[in-house]
Amino acid sequence: MTVLVAYAPAPEGREALSEGIKEAHLRNSDLLVVNIGRGHHDLEPEEVRALETRLGDAGLALTIESSVLSDPGDAVIQIAQDRNVDMIVIGLRHRSMVGKLILGSTVQRILLDATCPVLAVRSDKL
Amino acid sequence: MLDSAMAALASLADPSLLIMLLIGTVAGLIMGLIPGLGGTGAVAILLPITFGMEPPQALALLIGALAVVHTSDTVSAVLLGAPGSASASVTMLDGYSMAKKGQAARALTLAFLSSMAGGIIGAVGLTLAIPLARPLVLSFASPELFMLTVLGVSLAAVLSRGNIIKGVSAGLLGLILGMVGTSPTTAEERFTFGSLFLGDGLSLVAVALGIFGLAEIASRASQRRGEKQTISLGGGWGQGIREWLTHWTQVIRGALIGIWAGVLPGVGATAGTWMAYGQAVATAKDKRQFGKGDPRGIVGPESANNSVEAGDLIPTLLFGIPGGVPSAMLLGMLLTYGIQPGPSIITEHLDLMYLIVWSFAIASILGALLCFLSVKQLAKLTKVPFAVLAAGLVAIMLLGSFQEGGQLGDLWIMIILGVFGWLLKSTGFPRAPFLIGFVLAIPLERYYFLTDSLYEGFDWMARPGVMVFLAILILPMIWAFIKFIRARRHTNLDDGHRDEQPEDDEAPLKNSTWSLAASGIFFVAFAAALISSASFSPEARLVPQLVSTGGLIFSGILLFIEIRRRLRDRTPKADQSISEEAEVILSTQPAKAGWTLDARFALKTFLWMTGFLALTAAFGYLIAVTIFIPAFLLIVARARLKVAIIYTGVLYIVLLALPSLLPIDLPQGWLNTLV
Repeated sequence: MTVLVAYAPAPEGREALSEGIKEAHLRNSDLLVVNIGRGHHDLEPEEVRALETRLGDAGLALTIESSVLSDPGDAVIQIAQDRNVDMIVIGLRHRSMVGKLILGSTVQRILLDATCPVLAVRSDKL
Repeated sequence: MLDSAMAALASLADPSLLIMLLIGTVAGLIMGLIPGLGGTGAVAILLPITFGMEPPQALALLIGALAVVHTSDTVSAVLLGAPGSASASVTMLDGYSMAKKGQAARALTLAFLSSMAGGIIGAVGLTLAIPLARPLVLSFASPELFMLTVLGVSLAAVLSRGNIIKGVSAGLLGLILGMVGTSPTTAEERFTFGSLFLGDGLSLVAVALGIFGLAEIASRASQRRGEKQTISLGGGWGQGIREWLTHWTQVIRGALIGIWAGVLPGVGATAGTWMAYGQAVATAKDKRQFGKGDPRGIVGPESANNSVEAGDLIPTLLFGIPGGVPSAMLLGMLLTYGIQPGPSIITEHLDLMYLIVWSFAIASILGALLCFLSVKQLAKLTKVPFAVLAAGLVAIMLLGSFQEGGQLGDLWIMIILGVFGWLLKSTGFPRAPFLIGFVLAIPLERYYFLTDSLYEGFDWMARPGVMVFLAILILPMIWAFIKFIRARRHTNLDDGHRDEQPEDDEAPLKNSTWSLAASGIFFVAFAAALISSASFSPEARLVPQLVSTGGLIFSGILLFIEIRRRLRDRTPKADQSISEEAEVILSTQPAKAGWTLDARFALKTFLWMTGFLALTAAFGYLIAVTIFIPAFLLIVARARLKVAIIYTGVLYIVLLALPSLLPIDLPQGWLNTLV
């Protein structure tokens, strides 16, 4: 039993992470974090340790994984399929139609390509 | 049109053409195996041999090599996990994993067949482009041609990987360098500093071999490849063929992506191949096997990197703007033959166009066939450490760039540009816009003055063609600006498909003293060009002044950014916790110590080259070779004595025989003039 969180050092990513932790506790499953931030910026070591203790208290494990694929959407899907995860958690924010048309949307691709349930969390709430 | 195509095919029955095509193919296959050479190295090394040939023979040789460079570069990527060219590193992802499972033959079959298909589809694309573009091309007059040259340089600068400001600076400096010599409008000498030798301008071969060839050797000479264990070929030939047939859609898709990447100036084989890989992953439903040996990860990219070279030729031949570095050199070659790409090649030299198409297609098939037949020998060749190859390459490159003008000055310029090229490469400046700018400098100026004399004021700007080109010029800039803004605000997390090459250690000296120095060199060079152009006549002054002013602005921005980064790094980070994120992202790559091991090794290699050249100047080329090669092999490459003696002996005999086989001159030294 694993929950995959697509993390990025931004409000969307943090929202996804906190929701993913909740979900992991709820389902009593391990947490798998995939970093999709631009550049090779990972979670801070302190954050990782804090996260590990939080999950460890409930007897759950934390794994952080990366993929050779450079596109974050593909990387998330690949790891999800490879690890056979139960759920992907992603954070998203409002995008305009034109913006999505011209620049594309990673979240949209994850939603459409995923072969398991996806939990999408909005970071720009009302 | 069809009869020209058939006539070109019939002309290929000429044995001299066929032999040239065969020689070119074999040479291209061998050069594909040598890391870092790629299409650019292949064309640059073969170009000097073609001096003195008829255009058809020369084109058959060069196209033969260009078409197959990306067929053989896969071998070392698959067997050693060390790609023969940057674009083959994509194939390495899945090919090497497959080879580690004992299925190297399966990976190589997929790669060779896809390369062949990519080459053929590329040639078909080139053929179809001729009738499609013909009416368009024939409607062009000098204003459109001028805009096209501007577009060629600026698109190359904008679309190249990495920083746009760096790309534009490199392109502008290439333009300035291309203007060295006699001005096309007033026939006065520019930037020659009174030197007669610079009056002819810089030699294209020397510039290309310096910026790309020598720079590549210097940055790779420290790699000692021999230690890696090679993987046996294993089985799976039949499985490879069957899989290739089932993935035919991926082959075609890859080839089309490759052609498109080739058509765009500055998007070369490397970026095109990564695009194809990204597409293959994105369209696959089951992504589990990618990176672990998925045939789809080999088929698409391999077909793309061959078709890129054909795609490159489309804008080069039809519009006169090179789509990439190898085709920029081909353009330079055609210009020396007096064949003007663009409208005139379509009306007067259509047979040459079709000859190129046929040569490309035939060489692709021939290349794959030869690869299949000689794969065992090729696998052995990949085991040779790079430093051993480097010794011979330096000797060959210096000999090559001597052929154009027959002057030792060209060789000194080549080494200086080699150091500069290495600096550009390691500090993250794209080098393609530099060379494209260099080739297009004179056409740009000539078309500008033609336009200026034919049209009143800015009337030419109102021509529909010019307006379309202006739009094409501006749109990518707006696009880049929007992306830049979004990246700054960190609102780009969700944006588009990132199928480009992952940010790797291609530019290890980014954000260091070295990149500060590089920006400084750019700034000083533009300032010097601006000052020295003040003494030219108004006609000869205009374009250099415009270019150097632009360059001064862009390199000034670069210098400002570099200095600001240095200052920020120096101040202690007390308030880091306040804006952790912005800071962390900006300084993910901390400024490293300036004098790294690689830098020291590269500069040492350049010292070796300088020593070789000094020996040549003093004692002549042959004596210099007999001293340099064994010394380099024993000291730098740490080869065995036996190897060094045999290597030197063979090279010496070949060099001795070469002038009687080919129209090649060996540089004479100061000592020879005395005797």
